[in-house]
Amino acid sequence: MRDPYQVLGVSNTATDEEIKKAYRNLARKYHPDNYHDNPLADLAQERMKEINEAYESIQNQRKGRTGSANGYGNTGAYNPYGGYTGYTGDARYQRIRAAITQGELNLAEELLNAITDHGGEWNFLKGAVCYRRGWLDEAKRYYETAVQMEPNNMEYRRALQMVDGSAGTYRPDGYGNIHTTGCGSNCSEMCLAWLCCSMFGGGGWIWCC
Amino acid sequence: MFGYVRPSKERLSQEEQDRFTSAYCGLCHTLQRRYGLAARMILNYDLTFLAILLDESDTCTYGCRRCIVHPLRKRPCGDASVALDLAADHSVILSWWQMQDGIADHGFWGGLKYRLASGLLRNAYEKARKAQPAFDENTRVLLEELAALERENCPSIDRVADTFARLLAGAAEAARDPIRKRVLQQMLYHLGRWIYLTDAADDLGKDLQTGNYNPLPLRFSVENEKLTEEGRQDLAGTMDRSVEMMAAAFELADFGVWTEIIRSVVYEGLYMVGNAVLNGTFHQRPAREKK
Repeated sequence: MRDPYQVLGVSNTATDEEIKKAYRNLARKYHPDNYHDNPLADLAQERMKEINEAYESIQNQRKGRTGSANGYGNTGAYNPYGGYTGYTGDARYQRIRAAITQGELNLAEELLNAITDHGGEWNFLKGAVCYRRGWLDEAKRYYETAVQMEPNNMEYRRALQMVDGSAGTYRPDGYGNIHTTGCGSNCSEMCLAWLCCSMFGGGGWIWCC
Repeated sequence: MFGYVRPSKERLSQEEQDRFTSAYCGLCHTLQRRYGLAARMILNYDLTFLAILLDESDTCTYGCRRCIVHPLRKRPCGDASVALDLAADHSVILSWWQMQDGIADHGFWGGLKYRLASGLLRNAYEKARKAQPAFDENTRVLLEELAALERENCPSIDRVADTFARLLAGAAEAARDPIRKRVLQQMLYHLGRWIYLTDAADDLGKDLQTGNYNPLPLRFSVENEKLTEEGRQDLAGTMDRSVEMMAAAFELADFGVWTEIIRSVVYEGLYMVGNAVLNGTFHQRPAREKK
């Protein structure tokens, strides 16, 4: 196991408060909310586990006790990082969910295309295939349809939140909540002046198509 | 490539700004050393960012040099390295195929500048192709796929952007560590998607006038050769999601000395450029900075 202080990015003389702050910041960064159904969710989950273990180990060292980790992202029946394991009564969809979870997106798509009745779950899973591929615009449209058809399904609503921007994502300390649509009044001129384009006195020699 | 990817300067210390300059100038010098003077013309910020992402070394060494473009003041310039060589090979291949695309898209007069540039780059391309045959093949196939989608007026922004995204993701094959490779694939995929959409937004007015293919009016509402406010919000939203995907992937690998520079790109720089492009203010460059 790596040095727990190194995992949290603090020195071993850090105060309890500093350690807690570092832990909280990392936990916020690798939180399931930022990686829900992300193709790299397994890596984030791994990282979260490491952080939880490091924090727990430091606490135990300092307080001279043993105990069990109780952080985010622990394995249990429900995986907060997603994984398309939602309950379904339909064996066809069960198979498709397994294929998506294993990253076999072409197979999942073939199976979906063979189904003719397009209900909420079909639209949700079609959206999930798009999402895993990075086709985020189409994912959003399928998820929207799924939610319209079954407004009370939490799994579909959760998926939609990840693509319509309402989920809110991690930003490092000091970085504001800027988006492509802007960051407040007077934004664009100020922003442009901030960019490194003036670093070299104008762009490169660009061949645009 | 187009030059849209920039760090936001406010976030970087002088040391980091110098390091970014060292990557830019280092790539330029590497292009000249490996491929001759003409290859320097392809240099831009996007390729510099690619060089930074592909750098797996723990350290970054640079000296200060003068060059043709900056004859008076010495600038930080990255020393020759495997990463810069690799980035130079990728840059030449990407630029070459985009020039071929430019030749195919334009008539005799319009294609003249592409043919001229392509003639100058021919020897460099032949050499780069031998150095990176797989990336060359991948790029050629995907740009052909992209051209076919454009010919058939593909209405799906995801589908057209996907070809360019996969093309850039192909550069991740150079990574040795399997986890790093996955992270880079995801970052480069969404970088490619974002660049494609940003470029489409940038060219929208021109394309509507000339009748060239542009996927945006097929997906979002347009009025007076511009996206409506609603269309702009929708496009901005889907661009944001790609930047967020890049940032989430970025946090899962160690980028060593380049960490702060990449962070400022994926948490701020790309949003600012996207905002400026969508507002139509991107090409109004701020006054030249005096140091």
